[in-house]
Amino acid sequence: MPDLSLATLDPMALTGANVLLWSVLTIGSYAIAKRIYRRWTHWWLMPLAVAPVLVAAAVLALHVSYRDYMRWTHWLVLLLGPATVAFAVPIYEQRLLIRRHWPVLLVGMIAGSLTAIVTSWGLASLLGLDEALRLSLVPRSISTPFAMEVSGDIGGVPDLTAVFVVITGITGAALGDMILARLPFASALARGALFGMGAHGAGTARAHQIGSAEGAIAGLVMVLVGILNVLMAPVVAMILA
Amino acid sequence: MSTHYAVSKRLHRSTALQIGAVLVFWGLGTALAVASGVPLPGGILGLALLLALLLSRRLSALSLRRGTSWFLAEMLLFFVPAVLAVLGHREFFGLIGLKILAVILVSTISVMVSTALAVEACYRWTSRHA
Repeated sequence: MPDLSLATLDPMALTGANVLLWSVLTIGSYAIAKRIYRRWTHWWLMPLAVAPVLVAAAVLALHVSYRDYMRWTHWLVLLLGPATVAFAVPIYEQRLLIRRHWPVLLVGMIAGSLTAIVTSWGLASLLGLDEALRLSLVPRSISTPFAMEVSGDIGGVPDLTAVFVVITGITGAALGDMILARLPFASALARGALFGMGAHGAGTARAHQIGSAEGAIAGLVMVLVGILNVLMAPVVAMILA
Repeated sequence: MSTHYAVSKRLHRSTALQIGAVLVFWGLGTALAVASGVPLPGGILGLALLLALLLSRRLSALSLRRGTSWFLAEMLLFFVPAVLAVLGHREFFGLIGLKILAVILVSTISVMVSTALAVEACYRWTSRHA
């Protein structure tokens, strides 16, 4: 995608005002989306779904190019970097759980990651989606900061991956419930891993509602699988190329 | 020792200071990635650095807990702008969009079932042989 807007860059002052306006609008939409969800707890009203819709409505209503909008609010996306750092504390706090169950969790994460890669790639090919879409779909089961990183590494489009990650999160929490209703797994380990591996942050939130053990395991799996996938990305890129 | 105590006490109390500290770790990780040429994002190296300090007890998890919880709780906000990229893909609001949705739904179900089955089988096996 050539960035045509570069040729018509706004004067500095105007850009500053836009950065402020659109950052406030984005943070405001997010705050409203959280309040809506606190009031009506339907899976399709997750802030994950509602906040982008509110922002998109503002962008379309005010006839602003989505590309300008993304440039003005890019500093928010950069904060995914420190958010990755923040995962150190939950990992540290779950160190006993990791020490006791790491082989089991590792097997689950490898099985889940391989399934994600093979089914995303295979189904997308089967349905005739182009290569950029196929590659952008591969990392969508992992948490956003990691997913966007992997997407870039393997030749996908990180922005598209962010969209797919969101759709996976919204639908994944509901899909997990459906699966558990039909396949009641006996161990909290399996139930937690199912949500953390399949639906990252949204899944972890759902797992916390099922039980504290499930929640801790889901959060842990979400973080570890993100790191595992970033480390695996160069190998995956070689195989898919 | 007393200044160290005073600093850590202030850090314990202030969420803003802790958020600042997380940003510092991210900056360190990014600088480390650039300087060493390791092909890992600065965030991951920052995570490793912070985890090493926590595990070696040079830093207490309590002194960063509020800041890191803030980042994790509000993480969703940080990718709202990225999701707007969908507006550049009008073709998603049609057949291609339905195909993508089908891939995501079927793949997510497969990932969840295979993960849970693997963990359950492995857990049973290890508890039987423990």
